[in-house]
Amino acid sequence: MTQASRDKQQSVFSQWLRTGRLPSDGIFDGVERKFNPWHDPADGQFAFAGTGRYYGAGMAKPVPRAPARLARAHPQESQIRSQPKAVTSRAKQPASTAEPSEAHGAAGGRAKPVAARLGDQRNAAAEFVGGVGEGIYGVGKNTVVALHSALTTNPVTTVRNASLGIASRIDDALAAENIPARVQVARAADAIANASPREIGQATGSVVGNTALAVLPSAALGKVSALRRLPEAPPRVSYDPPEIGWVKENLGRDTPAKRYNDAATGGRPGQAPTLMRTMSDGSKRPVKFDGIQGEYVIDRKFKVMTLPRARAQLLRQSDVLAQHRLIGTWEVPTEKQRIAALELLKEMKVTNIKVRVVKP
Amino acid sequence: MIATQIARIIANFILFLELTDDEILDSDAAVEMMEDVGAGLDALDKGFLRELVDAFAVIAPEYSGESQDLVRDIPYGFYLEETLAEGDPARLAELGALREARAAKL
Repeated sequence: MTQASRDKQQSVFSQWLRTGRLPSDGIFDGVERKFNPWHDPADGQFAFAGTGRYYGAGMAKPVPRAPARLARAHPQESQIRSQPKAVTSRAKQPASTAEPSEAHGAAGGRAKPVAARLGDQRNAAAEFVGGVGEGIYGVGKNTVVALHSALTTNPVTTVRNASLGIASRIDDALAAENIPARVQVARAADAIANASPREIGQATGSVVGNTALAVLPSAALGKVSALRRLPEAPPRVSYDPPEIGWVKENLGRDTPAKRYNDAATGGRPGQAPTLMRTMSDGSKRPVKFDGIQGEYVIDRKFKVMTLPRARAQLLRQSDVLAQHRLIGTWEVPTEKQRIAALELLKEMKVTNIKVRVVKP
Repeated sequence: MIATQIARIIANFILFLELTDDEILDSDAAVEMMEDVGAGLDALDKGFLRELVDAFAVIAPEYSGESQDLVRDIPYGFYLEETLAEGDPARLAELGALREARAAKL
């Protein structure tokens, strides 16, 4: 049993010597570990890629261009390493651009964050180029998002969002104008001095992207002119729901006409919906209907008449409907009554009341 | 004879509904009551309705002023001639033309 265990350990060690990997998947307690083949030959400690000596598969890596001690001793290194963005962007790089040995997983090394190295000129240039790409991508993405928003959202919402963004820019500009120029220059110099190559690249890419967007006449002018036209669009007029009042109505009889009127949509037994009519002297009087359906008030006519009081009722209803910006509906039991109602409405020049047949 | 008596009863009721002040009789309630009366007239036997329509013209001189015009116009206001002419397109067209001419005069 002991011999078998020893043989297994030797086999694992042999595999590690040959392949640089352990037979496991490289994940222990949920923490992924990666093999670091770079070591400092002076003290045997781990070193950054491209520094120290390469002990990985093939052992064919070039001689480092800078000593590991110098790289670690660089005063800017700890500051850059602490920047999480540099680590994240590094991790997002495709495997083809990373060091081959870094792509292999192995055990034995401590999990170290990969950081930008100011002392490595080749990597700094790559990070600068990567930063330029990120900056241009950011400008393009923002432009696409803004265009998509302008094309798909409510114009009012788009204008409001655009106005908020413009207001923010104006606030920033006003705040900057209040700061003395020497302070702004000093801040800029300090920011540049402490910026990593990737950050400088991002800034450069943003400038390039915005410049490219600005020199495209069709895109830029179209965007601006479209946003300038939107505030001029007439706002959609929305009306409040009808202010319906209810009054008691008990006519004390049970006839086919009463049953027909009481069965109107939205009606209540013993009550009649009313709209308040404003008279020429400023007084208000209710006008009765039989029901209400949405924004339509309903009056049921079991029998259409042209007697004076019936005509006066028609004019009252038309007037109060006009005051409330509503459309009324007359519901009649037969086609004959519908024709009579249409003739009466035409004769009285009433256009805000429609007629339809509703069988009893 | 009976038609004339019933026409008089109907005429008095219609005058009450039409001419009573709004403060005493709700205007909308009066119209609804007249709809009831009109539906009842439409349901009458056509022969008796013919006699009744003719009776309104007979009793109209018994009233004066606005009331006289109202009684005479009861058949017109309730579309009673159109009810009698159902199934007769020519008569209905004639009645339609008469209505248009009367409306043009007003």
